[in-house]
Amino acid sequence: MNKRRAFLKSGLALTVAAISGKPAWSAPQTVNVVTGYPDEFVSRVEAAFEKAHPEYRLRVIWRMPADAAPYLRQPGHGGADVYWSASPRTFARLASEGIWRKLPADRRHLPPHIGKVALGDTAGYYTATEVAGFGFAVSPDALAKRGIAPPRDWPDLADPRLAGLIALPVPARVGFAPPLIDIVLQGWGWDAGWALWSEITANAVLIDRGSTFVTDEIVAGRSTVGVSIDFFVNAAIANGAKLDFIYPAHTGLNPAHIAVTRDSTNPDGAAAFVNFILSPAGQRLLAHPDIRRLPVRPDVYAELPATYYNPFAAAAAGGLQFDSDAARPRLATLAAAFQQMLIEPHAELGELWRRLRRAEAAGKATTPIRALLCRPPLSEAEANTAELQRQIGLRIEGGPEAAPSATEIVWQKQCTKNRRHARQALEAIKA
Amino acid sequence: MRISLLLAGAMFTLPALAQEPVPDRDLLTRPLPGLNAKELERFMLGRSLFRQSWVIAPASDTTVDGLGPLYNRLACISCHPKNGRGGAPSGPHEKMQSMLVRLSVPGTPPRPHPVYGDQLNEEGIPGVPGEGRAEVHWQEKEVRLADGHLVRLRFPEIRFVELAYGEIGPVLVSPRVGPHVAGLGLLDAVDARTLTAMARAAKPDGVTGKMNRIGRQAGRFGLKANTADLRGQIAGAFHGDMSITSPLFPDENCTPAQSACKQAPNGGKPELSARQLDDITFYVAHLAPPPRRNSEAPAVKRGELLFAGFGCAVCHQPTLQTGNSPHRLLRKRSFSPYTDLLVHDMGPGLADHRPDHAATGSEWRTAPLWGIGALAAINEKVGFLHDGRARTLEEAILWHGGEAEAARRRYGQADAASRRDLIEFLNSL
Repeated sequence: MNKRRAFLKSGLALTVAAISGKPAWSAPQTVNVVTGYPDEFVSRVEAAFEKAHPEYRLRVIWRMPADAAPYLRQPGHGGADVYWSASPRTFARLASEGIWRKLPADRRHLPPHIGKVALGDTAGYYTATEVAGFGFAVSPDALAKRGIAPPRDWPDLADPRLAGLIALPVPARVGFAPPLIDIVLQGWGWDAGWALWSEITANAVLIDRGSTFVTDEIVAGRSTVGVSIDFFVNAAIANGAKLDFIYPAHTGLNPAHIAVTRDSTNPDGAAAFVNFILSPAGQRLLAHPDIRRLPVRPDVYAELPATYYNPFAAAAAGGLQFDSDAARPRLATLAAAFQQMLIEPHAELGELWRRLRRAEAAGKATTPIRALLCRPPLSEAEANTAELQRQIGLRIEGGPEAAPSATEIVWQKQCTKNRRHARQALEAIKA
Repeated sequence: MRISLLLAGAMFTLPALAQEPVPDRDLLTRPLPGLNAKELERFMLGRSLFRQSWVIAPASDTTVDGLGPLYNRLACISCHPKNGRGGAPSGPHEKMQSMLVRLSVPGTPPRPHPVYGDQLNEEGIPGVPGEGRAEVHWQEKEVRLADGHLVRLRFPEIRFVELAYGEIGPVLVSPRVGPHVAGLGLLDAVDARTLTAMARAAKPDGVTGKMNRIGRQAGRFGLKANTADLRGQIAGAFHGDMSITSPLFPDENCTPAQSACKQAPNGGKPELSARQLDDITFYVAHLAPPPRRNSEAPAVKRGELLFAGFGCAVCHQPTLQTGNSPHRLLRKRSFSPYTDLLVHDMGPGLADHRPDHAATGSEWRTAPLWGIGALAAINEKVGFLHDGRARTLEEAILWHGGEAEAARRRYGQADAASRRDLIEFLNSL
């Protein structure tokens, strides 16, 4: 027997199996789902959905929100049947463009709201599949070592003892972060809110997109507190990290939605997927240690450990008052202003705040200086202007980052002037 | 101020869910200690790419587009969840997910199938049919140990269904499960002379072991050691699993028979830049090896002695030494991967009958055992051996044959307590 024949003979068993195989059942139909969720989430949902519905097979088309909208606007929506992602703006925008069909979902078990967050649109085109809350990741050990109590609300982050110890995601660069700004502005009002942010940011180490995680910084001991959305931190905790996550008194939720495309070629499959995601089985997947998001079905919490954060209970106790619907149109504007006021001059801002705090500790009069460092470059009325919101809209959600607009350059100059005056005033009092 | 709504009761802390200690499921994701700030930044960049779900071209995010046209999964972590090991489907109804099937027709080096290439890509981007499905049908056999203990072993039969490009015909197939990736920089830095010396060393029990060779280079990576270095292994996985082109694999993964594949848009040439490939290689190279756990426990200590006594350590070498790596943290280090990186005949039970360079159809590279005891906590579907057939470490041991026959026999003849101790030791790695 020559070598080649020996090869063929040795592989025969597997070869015969390969060519004589028949499907275990008729070929499933494909459901095309566009999503921006990470693979550890999507893979588990895919496996569970296909197990529950062997007549369907999922094809995942991964797109960040800014990229998902143009994809879904294509003729035939690029083949997509479903859009499933944490991007409320994209769902709302595409609904206004007529991209969705009425949601083929059983919503009887879904309350319309949690706190001030609406879970679905009133027209019935999309609904929330999970929510995530904002708050503080902390290292209890590191805080205890420094004798600092765990932060209970945003003003606690302005504590000078936390200078250099707070990990803060850059709102204009990190997808989940823009609502953080408005949680504080809605809670404390426009002027006091920006003042609080100025102090908190001066204490912070900035976390950019695609680099380190807030949890990395705390676990490694480089930070003690981190501002974050809950699932990153709760997943890290469920994976063994010695952290706590604190939902502050002023906080809110970010809903993630699902919708079916108008021209879906597999509407039954799309409906099966939507209803699976909203079913108890689909909602229970959210508690997996690698996912750790918050179900939108109140009944599912009864099956979760009592320590699992229950936003329905928190809302019933009067929490979760952040109005994400009201915030949504102005988030890009806020992130852009935050960038010019607090992020670009971050190093200088930190230095000025250190000098200001020393002067205050020495009993010097500093009220006007504090006002200069806390003053936002725009009024609330300006931030709520539709034209400005349109102008800056693309900056958010990881979209293309154009050069700063003329308005932002004006803000930049205004903030630079404020800092210059603050510096001069500090020098005048020898601080 | 609108702080009147502030309610003391609205503050919640969420501790870990379970009362028992939470297993460290991130232990394969940490950097080697000693990276400086610049290196750490690069490590994080590489991590982002390793976690990235790749996007179908064209897309506005041009740095991560180019998935497909034919592919298996979207991200590196799809097959290496949390940098850990994949698993096999439980039956024909389940998608392969973290498993794939290599294909070839006889020849050296392995020649890709003329229509389906060297790997079945089950998925296709919209407009390009996926190649088909590989169903796993499990068969079982029983093994009775010397003390009467009965162990059921399973092995896969692969059936191709829904083939989109016609009959596949005679083909050599080899199902594979993604291994964990921590510590690979150290394996990459083992000098070829060290491998040569290990191959030449006299060994007991008829064990031989040889280096696989890729041209003039020593093979280190891949389940048959068919790739010389880590950068090549990563670029090969990008190309084979996601059809992402790179400087090492500049052409799309389409065969001449796949016209829709060839006409599909690409994400640039190459889709993974040299810089990105370097960053991701840096990341994987600097993942810290899995730390030992419970290494001082008496059962583990006893098991370690049995590991040597049974002859397991002849191939699963406890300690290796790195040579002159370009990376300072990987140079001249002693480490404990429990492999010799050589290929060994493992007998007919494990043979895939698919030769790969110098490795025959029954030869496999000695699997590194570091981290093996931590894998089940990381991935609930984890399976051991090349195709994930072994559901437990005991099953994996009992599949050993060929050069490992004597070691397997000693395990089978040992009493139950000794067998437990050996498993305890493996779980500590």
